[in-house]
Amino acid sequence: MKLIGIVGTNANFSYNRLLLKYMQQHFAKDAEIEIIELTDVPMFNESDDQTNSPIIQAFNDKITAADGVIIATPEHNHSISSALKSLLEWLSFNVHPLDGKPVMIVGASLSSQGSSRAQLHLRQILDAPGVNAAVMPGNEFLLGSVQLAFDDEGNLREQGTIEFLETCFSRFQRFAKISNLLNIPEEVTFTPGTFAVTTPGHNGDLPMSVTLSKKRIEKIEIDTSKETEGIADVVFARIPQEIIDGQTLNVDVISGASVTSHGVIDGVAQAVKMAGANPDYLRQRPKAGTPQANQDEDYTTDVVIVGAGGAGLTAAAKTLQEGKKPIVVEKFPAIGGNTVRAGGPMNAADPEWQKQFPAIAGEAHTLQEIAAMDPETIDTEYRPDFLKLREQLEAYLTENDDQGSYLFDSTLLYRIQTYLGGKRTDLQGNEIHGQYDLVKILTDHALESVKWLADIGVEFDQSEVTMPVGAIWRRGHKPAKSVGYAYIEALSDYVKANGGQIMTDTDVTSLIDEDGQVRGIIATGANGQKVTIHAAAVVLASGGFGANTKMLKQYNTYWTEIADDIKTSNSPAITGDGIRLGQSVGADLVGMGFSQMMPVSDPDTGDLFTGLQVPPQNFVMVNQQGRRFVNEYGSRDQLTQAAIDNGGLFYLIADDRIKATAYNTSQEKIDQQVAAGTLYRDDTIAGLAQQLKMDPAVLEDTVTKYNRYADAGLDPEFGKDVFDLKVEQAPFYATPRKPAVHHTMGGLKIDTKAHVLNEQGQVINVLYAAGEVAGGIHAGNRLGGNSLTDIFTFGRIAADSAIHECLK
Amino acid sequence: MKLIGIVGSNATNSTNRQLLQFMQQHFSDQAEIDLCEIKDLPAFNEPADKTAPTGVQLLSDKIMAADGVIVSTPEYDHSIPAALKSAIEWLSYTTRPLIDKPVMIVGASHGSLGSSRAQAHLRQILDAPELKARIMPSDEFLLGHSLTAFAEDGQLIYPEKVQELEECFAEFVDFVTLTNELLKNRHVNAEHQRQFSWELDANGGQN
Repeated sequence: MKLIGIVGTNANFSYNRLLLKYMQQHFAKDAEIEIIELTDVPMFNESDDQTNSPIIQAFNDKITAADGVIIATPEHNHSISSALKSLLEWLSFNVHPLDGKPVMIVGASLSSQGSSRAQLHLRQILDAPGVNAAVMPGNEFLLGSVQLAFDDEGNLREQGTIEFLETCFSRFQRFAKISNLLNIPEEVTFTPGTFAVTTPGHNGDLPMSVTLSKKRIEKIEIDTSKETEGIADVVFARIPQEIIDGQTLNVDVISGASVTSHGVIDGVAQAVKMAGANPDYLRQRPKAGTPQANQDEDYTTDVVIVGAGGAGLTAAAKTLQEGKKPIVVEKFPAIGGNTVRAGGPMNAADPEWQKQFPAIAGEAHTLQEIAAMDPETIDTEYRPDFLKLREQLEAYLTENDDQGSYLFDSTLLYRIQTYLGGKRTDLQGNEIHGQYDLVKILTDHALESVKWLADIGVEFDQSEVTMPVGAIWRRGHKPAKSVGYAYIEALSDYVKANGGQIMTDTDVTSLIDEDGQVRGIIATGANGQKVTIHAAAVVLASGGFGANTKMLKQYNTYWTEIADDIKTSNSPAITGDGIRLGQSVGADLVGMGFSQMMPVSDPDTGDLFTGLQVPPQNFVMVNQQGRRFVNEYGSRDQLTQAAIDNGGLFYLIADDRIKATAYNTSQEKIDQQVAAGTLYRDDTIAGLAQQLKMDPAVLEDTVTKYNRYADAGLDPEFGKDVFDLKVEQAPFYATPRKPAVHHTMGGLKIDTKAHVLNEQGQVINVLYAAGEVAGGIHAGNRLGGNSLTDIFTFGRIAADSAIHECLK
Repeated sequence: MKLIGIVGSNATNSTNRQLLQFMQQHFSDQAEIDLCEIKDLPAFNEPADKTAPTGVQLLSDKIMAADGVIVSTPEYDHSIPAALKSAIEWLSYTTRPLIDKPVMIVGASHGSLGSSRAQAHLRQILDAPELKARIMPSDEFLLGHSLTAFAEDGQLIYPEKVQELEECFAEFVDFVTLTNELLKNRHVNAEHQRQFSWELDANGGQN
């Protein structure tokens, strides 16, 4: 029998150590007792996880391998020592080696008590759910007046004491044997067959089929045809694989997709139940061969890129095109960052192409308004471009005065619209607009980016020109396949096919900074191992900080308030890591106070397409009292600020006909959401008000007035002047909404070559940045469709600069 | 009345810290509560010369100067955290400022039990002769589900819990006054110096 003896104190001299040594030698023929000291165990701190330190790993490995554990505890202040408690806290935090492990408690003290109170505390502690040790009952071995107990050779003097210890120890050997039987995994037998279950996806339940043979989980198939591609596919691939590999339901959930992960696990559990077995037994099984080896890793490459979203993968593809070797490091299990979530096409002015499409109502008016702007109101650096644009516009408007005109565009219009769209003033009166040289690069090279992507393998649908949500002109190039994912799929295929390396689950913690020179990155791998990557250049492409509320609040100068529990449409990975990395080597920041909100987001998830999301002419927005509070046709910023002023949460009221105009939903999903309590439905307005805890009279009055305004075509209260449907046909619906973070405009200060600049405006050698991690381009407001243009343009520039400056 | 509030956790985010911050502000008209952290104290290790490290000495001085002490403890594995235990070991091994000091125990936990087992352990620990704190009997304040118990501005959102805490605190104010009155003539110097069995362990049983 192999046992571990733990000395329960970090004191230099300890009778408890002496007692264990005596047991080790006295029982040598019965058991091999290895004594471990806890002197080097750090103080437990839940905020500073050191589970992966060699000392905790040693305890974990040795205890796991042992048949049982003997703990010798002193008594300090009627309890166990803090040093022993600290060890037990580590061993019940992220690893649980004592779970089910047979434990014998002994103790020695100078007083007559022999650590009696400490032993009782220790029993209670070992019984806590996180520890869950199998402590041998009874057989209390308390060695009082210990200073008299041992002779000079370290042997116990008293024959009676020796005999009692022998009795206790022999009981423990039997106890350990029997106890360990309980740790043998429970036999599981299934009724063979294929079982149909479901698992929750982002857009409703997904059908899943689980095939079980008598002894094994054979196959797990999930029909993901209804799912947003990209976001969850890593879950649908990895979780079933781990379940089958380990024949276990003890599987780690995937960060950023815990609901979907649990959904798959629970679905399989349900099938197991249907097959007549107890899924709990499968949950108790060990995880699938988790590689415990956490050897540090060391790599050398040409360019290391932080973040595997659109910008990072673009930089990697460009690096490969130039014949150099990139490594992309991504902290999440899945690649794609925010880009897979992008719903819209990318902007690029392509006048020759756009010319084929007829202009639509209102576009000429928009152009007239721009042409009529007073040049004095245009910032001086943009003024020459504006004047040239005005000539273009005047020529177009004259030429197309009264005939069927075509869709106009030019690089200059794109540039000026990006500039005008981004111009904002914050609460402190600071004006911000896009930095001219960066906006010029963006707009000059946008079309080149579209063509470059087409060469990489992104197929664009040229038959249609679209206006992305939040854009102000129709110049969107739309991929033929499902939008955001199409870019990521093509880029990652290209990178992998050409020998580029993408390391997921690898979180960059710092830049290697040798005497002021950046030389690579240091990251933490999936198993806690240290990953060092030496490189000639580092590209930061880790996105903004939309999922980091603390950082948003810290920098915010634009919104009157950002709620602590604000949600985001971003990937949870977008936490400003690259901005912090840049700052660690002195990078300057720009425009950090400005963030973009999606006013009509799900209050619980930040999703856009839950509930009834209808066109704005059918929006009826009411606050928590049931009153309208804004012109529903207002800009995103206006709606967001109005919502913040009204306590954040508000409702979209709809009737049965308005319901029919909702995007991305179905009756099935609507019924599900009503059942789940995330969407409200009632046959009367008064009933709906009661569900929402509003005064029914107030909501009824609001609806009556709104319907009257809709008939009149004008709303004297808030000035809404575009109406479609009234609220009159039962059943009535209320969709709860709240502003959620969508994009952060600020970030690292860069120049036109994508160099990161320090506070003195100087280039930080070999450090580049691209995408949302950088600031200066979108200023106070990013046009819809411009972030994609940004990442594909500056992603290429960053790689290009890195290669030409650092590798040639 | 001058009190010390000891945050019994070394975690960056702690609802026990929030609880003490709430008490500090809510009872500011009755007592001045100075919050003390244990998170930067070194781990206890039986120093041969029995001198307290600076951080422990500072904490000890504050306790000595205070009329009473409030300890807010989380519960880790049915007991108090090692970090709090370590701080207590330092105090009992070096300066012993808790002898005869009125102590109130409170605690918060994410689960429903509100650190009940940890509080029971803490009572037994503080009752050890080398600590000899005067723990307020019977009253216990257990705050369960603490993650959702505080509003953004730090207010405790459950009115019944606020009332319960107010009652406990009022009793503690009386308890501090009475205890200090009762014990004002006791000479505790000898006890501050006395050797206790567990510390002799370190010296192989030698004084």
